[in-house]
Amino acid sequence: MVVKVYSTPTCPWCHKVKDFLKENKIKFEDIDVSSNQKAGQEMVEKSGQMGVPVIDVDGKIIVGFNEGKLKESLGI
Amino acid sequence: MGKYDFIIIGAGGTGLAAAMYGARLGLKTLVLGKSHGTELPVGGVITTTHLVENYPGFIKLSGMELAEKIEKHARSYELVTIKEEKVISVKKTKEGFEIKSENDSYKSKTVLFATGTKWRKLDIPGSNEFENKGVHYCALCDGPFFKNKIVGLVGGSDSAAKDALLLSEYAKKVYIIYRGDKIHPEPINLNRVEQNKKIEVVNNTNVLEIKGDKFVNEVILDGDYEGSKSLKLDGIFVAIGHIVLSKLAKELGVKTNEKGEIIVDRMTRTNVKGVYAAGDVADGEFKQLITGVAEGCTAAYSAYEYIGSGKNLN
Repeated sequence: MVVKVYSTPTCPWCHKVKDFLKENKIKFEDIDVSSNQKAGQEMVEKSGQMGVPVIDVDGKIIVGFNEGKLKESLGI
Repeated sequence: MGKYDFIIIGAGGTGLAAAMYGARLGLKTLVLGKSHGTELPVGGVITTTHLVENYPGFIKLSGMELAEKIEKHARSYELVTIKEEKVISVKKTKEGFEIKSENDSYKSKTVLFATGTKWRKLDIPGSNEFENKGVHYCALCDGPFFKNKIVGLVGGSDSAAKDALLLSEYAKKVYIIYRGDKIHPEPINLNRVEQNKKIEVVNNTNVLEIKGDKFVNEVILDGDYEGSKSLKLDGIFVAIGHIVLSKLAKELGVKTNEKGEIIVDRMTRTNVKGVYAAGDVADGEFKQLITGVAEGCTAAYSAYEYIGSGKNLN
């Protein structure tokens, strides 16, 4: 399973998503869209919007911190 | 069903400070978070503030850092339990109160409402359609997407000014669009706005509509700006105040004022015995983390006194 988190360093919901993944021992790639504009564009293309965080679980896109959807996508 | 001396609804800075003090006074304390309308992390609304410069002891630090310190402090007491559960009802019982969350129910001798507020949303054509597609409520989160772009900021408060200053670190131009005669941030931030060459304040103006294709590219104003009611921009941020989250308290019979804020005395007592309110949900005029924290500590003391100064604790 490949998990990517598109985030900005100061966004509280991004911290929450990353804490959730760490607590559940899920490995993920943390992509800072504030310093990586190309990744930011990729995030916008994938999610069709500009709000962070965006979580990509094997191509399935979740916008925002949504514990229910995250658990469902991660199978936990 | 867990039994507590002091249950705090709301896990923002106010609730966490109250928990810390409750534990110091020997109260078995439970904090139930997730009561904020936008379901912010433990730490509450201060986590969305870029820089805090008005909290004694810290000249400058991020809201997130400060929230983490306050949370750590509360958690350092064994008598404090913090659960991220949304409360759905608070009822008076013979012995005290019964608090139901989505997950469980709890008994407590006293209750503190530290439920805070949630962001007021802009309710105009296009505002829902383009939410997160150029209409944003968290400058701290989404500001970086507007590097070298043109953005608007609706509002005139201190929070609005701070958001505009933050956005100016990314955007090439920031319009503060305010309905009143003059924006009213704290003087230190007003001065920063006035000195900032990227920020332009457009007073006496409302945004009537937000337009775009996939993303926002224009707003329609109710007055002319440089000869036109159309203002071309790439994003619009909203900081138009908050809605008080006092519904649960009202259902318990707690009195509120015309704004929905819970009416309290100097000891944070409400009209219902054993029930207190502190922070942004209470009727104080000056609302900062530092004032909320002080009110939270006062509430813990009031609860301690009400229970019998340590005589009848769980």
